[in-house]
Amino acid sequence: MIARDRNWLLIFAVCAALAVLYPLFADGYQLTVIRDALIFGLFAASLDFFWGRTGILCFGHAAFFGIGGYIMALITLNDAIPFGSLLGIMGAVAGAAFIAAIIGYFLFFGGIRGSYFTIVTLAMGVICQQAAVSWSSVTGGDSGLIGIPPIEFDLGGTHVDLSQDLPSYIFVAAIVAVVVLALWSISRGRWGTVLTAIQDNEVRAAALGHNAPLRLLVTFVVSAAIAGLAGALYVCMAGLVAPDLSGLLLSTEVIVWVAVGGRGTLLGPVLGAIFIQRAQQTISSFNPSLWPLLLGCVFVIIVFVLPDGILSIYARLKSLLKGRRRAQ
Amino acid sequence: MDFVVTTLLNALTLISILMLVGLGLAISFGLMNVTNLAHGEFVTVGAFAVYFVQSIGGSFWLGLAAAPIAGAVVGCILEFAIIRHLYSRPVSTVLATWGVSLILQQGLELTFGLGAKPVTPPIEGTLDLFFTVYPAYRLILIAIAMLTLLGVILLISRTSFGLDIRTVIQNREMAEGVGINTRRTYAIAFTFGAAIAGLAGGLVAPLAIVLPQMGVNYLANAFFVVIVGGVGSIGGLVAGSVFVGGLTSVLNYQISPSLAQAIVLLAAIVAVRLRPNGLFNGASR
Repeated sequence: MIARDRNWLLIFAVCAALAVLYPLFADGYQLTVIRDALIFGLFAASLDFFWGRTGILCFGHAAFFGIGGYIMALITLNDAIPFGSLLGIMGAVAGAAFIAAIIGYFLFFGGIRGSYFTIVTLAMGVICQQAAVSWSSVTGGDSGLIGIPPIEFDLGGTHVDLSQDLPSYIFVAAIVAVVVLALWSISRGRWGTVLTAIQDNEVRAAALGHNAPLRLLVTFVVSAAIAGLAGALYVCMAGLVAPDLSGLLLSTEVIVWVAVGGRGTLLGPVLGAIFIQRAQQTISSFNPSLWPLLLGCVFVIIVFVLPDGILSIYARLKSLLKGRRRAQ
Repeated sequence: MDFVVTTLLNALTLISILMLVGLGLAISFGLMNVTNLAHGEFVTVGAFAVYFVQSIGGSFWLGLAAAPIAGAVVGCILEFAIIRHLYSRPVSTVLATWGVSLILQQGLELTFGLGAKPVTPPIEGTLDLFFTVYPAYRLILIAIAMLTLLGVILLISRTSFGLDIRTVIQNREMAEGVGINTRRTYAIAFTFGAAIAGLAGGLVAPLAIVLPQMGVNYLANAFFVVIVGGVGSIGGLVAGSVFVGGLTSVLNYQISPSLAQAIVLLAAIVAVRLRPNGLFNGASR
């Protein structure tokens, strides 16, 4: 356990060092590409915090990403509201958490687990996208809302302006690092241990005095809040918000990022998001409709060949080598 | 009066479709514990079968006969290639069937091209029902759906294959013990459910917008039918369909369809909170 923690911190440190050094070699455009990928990485980590720790798959996580994005857009686009960026981020986080709390309350306390939860969250994602399209007086309909200003606020006398590439990259990278580290320390501590117990046998965990539905609910709300944060960051960096951000395809993609990166590792999903998005951009430049087809194949391949993600190849190779050495 | 009758008939149309789509799902999700996210694609495949037969000059009825066959073929391949290997891994089943669903959607789009496909109903015009006039095709749809459901009830309650299915559902190990090939029974039941969903897709094709992505709406609603109604009985299926279909049709009159969908979802979630074992099943699972 301790060796595993040390390995995780080591990998985290390497990634952080790479993130710090990256601006020295990259130009502005490359920085923005990685910045946007990191935001989706944060989104993937939020799903992993819930799915990886509880074993319950949320199939509509983009709903929270989209809710956060729309709230951020509506607040910052409204000139009457002062401190738009800060209030927007807070509103996005609170809004996503609020919706998750309502849905989660009914589901978890109603005894809904496993596949049933997956289905209901799937429907939730479908409805969120439909609502974003049809409620056009507020959400701008199919075309969404454009002209969202970059994040800008005063903190302790210093003025933070993220309209430039480098500051926005640093801001996003710092948030991702802090959140991932925080989620990791939560999930390796007592909270995560209890969640593992609930995942293994909920009845026994409850008999030991743990309020299982409440634990699951709080975990779900935290996960949704971070997804909302990621959504808020994304729309400010992209400058627009559209119904796709809460859609089923994004919900699907985030599952792939987590599954490829390795469920339950928190860092793996961030890396998965970055690498798969690079692949997506390359493939989509040939033919845009090829990507969903490939995504479908990736799902099937993961299930049958790599149930524990890309990182498990290393572990498998190691055990294979060990086995061979023992055989000799 | 005629407003009430029209609403009732609209509801009945939706309920019939939901019952047919939900039937296959009740078999796979409710009884075999397989979460098949590609179930909506059986509906899509059925609708495309009708479109395809019509586009090469066949009649609607020929297309409607092809629809369940197309659904069954896809269902059989899916069961054989993927689902039977994953009976003990529920989350993997979710991921794999979702992947298949994406592949099927994109496959249909690459084969038939972008955009909605036109399907003409076999009968135009309306029928005078004394209280109100109603499109004739919708009445035929309701009749075919009811006959199909009746056929399924008879199949399950009166034939030896139905007995096999009921046995496997009640206790899989015991069924194996008395010499029933449970693997084969599962495969046939799954294929059968896919065929019924394909038929539903064929029936709904003239009324719906036929797109490769049309399945997901039926998927979500059909799952609600099964979850709300409770698993394991035709009565639960009917109750769930009436709940989801009835509520959707009534709300669609007052408010926009997507808001109606959202309200139905919330109502379904609340219903599950209050009756965790389904509207129909009083006893615990």
